[in-house]
Amino acid sequence: MTAALPPFVDHPLPGAGSTWPRRRAALAELAAAGWPQRRRERWRYTDLEPLAKAGFDVAPTAPGDAELATATTLLAALTGTAPRLVFVDGHFNRQLSGSLPTGVEALDLDAEWAEFDSRWAGNILATDHPLAALNTAFNQRGLWVRARSGTELAEPMHIVHIGSRRPQLAAQPRIVLEIGENARLTLVEHIVDAGAGSGWLNAVTQIHQGARSQLDLYRLQQHGENQAHTSLLAADLAADAELRVGYIDLGGRLVRNDVEITLRERGARVELFGLFIAGAGQHLDNHTTIVHAAPETRSDEAFRGIIGDRGRGVFNGKVVVRPKAQRIDARQSNDNLLLGAHAEIDAKPELEIYADDVKCSHGATVGELDPDHLFYLRARGLDENDARRVLTTAFAASVLERVRDEPWRTRLIDLVAARLGGMVENFT
Amino acid sequence: MLTIENLHARVGDREILKGLSLHVPAGEVHAIMGPNGSGKSTLAQVLAGREDYKVTAGRVLYLGKDLLAMAPEERARAGVFLAFQYPIEIPGVNNAYLLKTALNAHRQAQGKQPMDAFEFMKLIKMKMELVHAPKDFLSRSVNQGFSGGEKKRNEILQMLLLEPKLAVLDETDSGLDVDAMRIIAHGVNSLRSPDRSMLVVTHYERLLELIVPDRVHVLAGGRIVKSGDRELARELDQRGYDWLQTGATA
Repeated sequence: MTAALPPFVDHPLPGAGSTWPRRRAALAELAAAGWPQRRRERWRYTDLEPLAKAGFDVAPTAPGDAELATATTLLAALTGTAPRLVFVDGHFNRQLSGSLPTGVEALDLDAEWAEFDSRWAGNILATDHPLAALNTAFNQRGLWVRARSGTELAEPMHIVHIGSRRPQLAAQPRIVLEIGENARLTLVEHIVDAGAGSGWLNAVTQIHQGARSQLDLYRLQQHGENQAHTSLLAADLAADAELRVGYIDLGGRLVRNDVEITLRERGARVELFGLFIAGAGQHLDNHTTIVHAAPETRSDEAFRGIIGDRGRGVFNGKVVVRPKAQRIDARQSNDNLLLGAHAEIDAKPELEIYADDVKCSHGATVGELDPDHLFYLRARGLDENDARRVLTTAFAASVLERVRDEPWRTRLIDLVAARLGGMVENFT
Repeated sequence: MLTIENLHARVGDREILKGLSLHVPAGEVHAIMGPNGSGKSTLAQVLAGREDYKVTAGRVLYLGKDLLAMAPEERARAGVFLAFQYPIEIPGVNNAYLLKTALNAHRQAQGKQPMDAFEFMKLIKMKMELVHAPKDFLSRSVNQGFSGGEKKRNEILQMLLLEPKLAVLDETDSGLDVDAMRIIAHGVNSLRSPDRSMLVVTHYERLLELIVPDRVHVLAGGRIVKSGDRELARELDQRGYDWLQTGATA
């Protein structure tokens, strides 16, 4: 039995009439799959009922002058003058985005949907990802970013999602990143809100990497404290392509990230890492799947969670090794730090291995700060809060060391230290 | 500088210090020797404020203040320094960062401005030469991957930087070869001054040939059972502790 869809789904379809057939089809798939419910294993730890009960506008109109003015102010601090692609309330805005570097183009996904559909239709199944079907039904002004073969960017390019102060919007940004053969680039994705947020961002990003291409994608999620967030990142890698994804989740009230990486051809490799910091009242869930579909593929996954008092974290890391994927190497680790008696983490590794010549390792830890470490620092004159802050930041920094772009790494460590400073002080 | 009166301390159900009394005047170096399990390390940890050790009776006066009422960080900032027997490895915390943060916590307590990065580097490099610290000492995580000797040198480096009034060295010589011990002793001796006291806890007499103490105390069964000058250390080296211990438990 599938669960009924929330009433807000019954909304006039946006966009041009030519897009309606695919939107209707997506809605039908969503109806067949049903709204996510906790009795399904994938949703066991994350309850979307509160979202279903809330009233949302699932197809926000394009942002007006007030929203764009707010966005402009936020942008200056976020990206400086670096090249950027800007979404406001789920709508791509070309004006705020400015010009793109040579070798990179950004197409209107709605206009190119038929082409997109013919190439990658069926990559994302509504049964696995019902909310991606919701996105397919209601996204507008989505973006198809193409980096031509051989393109190399010296500087990171930014993707920015800004939530305006308009209430109860369910923004549905859609991005396709097509990275040509041998192209090399770094993307930094920011997710911010103008205020505390009262809405929901339901994002879908698809990555298609050509042979020997190299993409670094660092995502910093800093939603307002009342915002809900669901996202799917689905990536598909050709031979010897290299993908590095870093997810840093600091904000939001209810956050669920799904990441699905398919190492489709020989020699493809992915490094997937994440840091999630859940303070009081925050629920942060990362569900990842890495599929080794070809021989000699490699994956290295490391997630760290820091859960404050009355915070909740979920990590589910699944690794699938298909029958012909011999001589692969898959590593996974998940380490969690609990900072209060009422902190909660649900950590679950899942391995499905159908090949016999493989190297797979995984490990999960849950712990508190080491009292010996705390005493050592206090015996050197650091007060207890400082000692906690230093140790917690070190725990976080060890995963942020994986960020290869040095200015970004430094900025992230500073941001995380500031976020943790407040948390450890409230804790004692 | 330091006066300990009738100190009793326990870990869990086990009483380890059983009425220890000791007086260390300013400017003096006192050695605490004793067999394994006599309570030497417990004394060092209690002085530094380790919470696992419960003081059940007695008092400790440091510069006239009730030391036991102070938090570990308050003791440190007031000038008490413990060189750990087993320095803790802290992955991810940069050694230079710890040194600078510790120094500035001390300076702040003394009402001084924090030291900037440039001044700090100048100062720390000078101190590093004293203990022959390798160049990458600063960029590594605290004690992580350090050899036994390097860890002890790192403790002494911290001590040289923080310039405590009362330094407690807990078996700083353990696991060191003669050359490493010389380096450590040189560092320690460079700090000797009329307004600074040291308590050197050791199992062996060797270190006391290099850091010459004003007084030597024998700790056995949780109490000081004998005190003397440096000749006592030599006697212990030759005769062992058995002749004293019998007296202590009687």
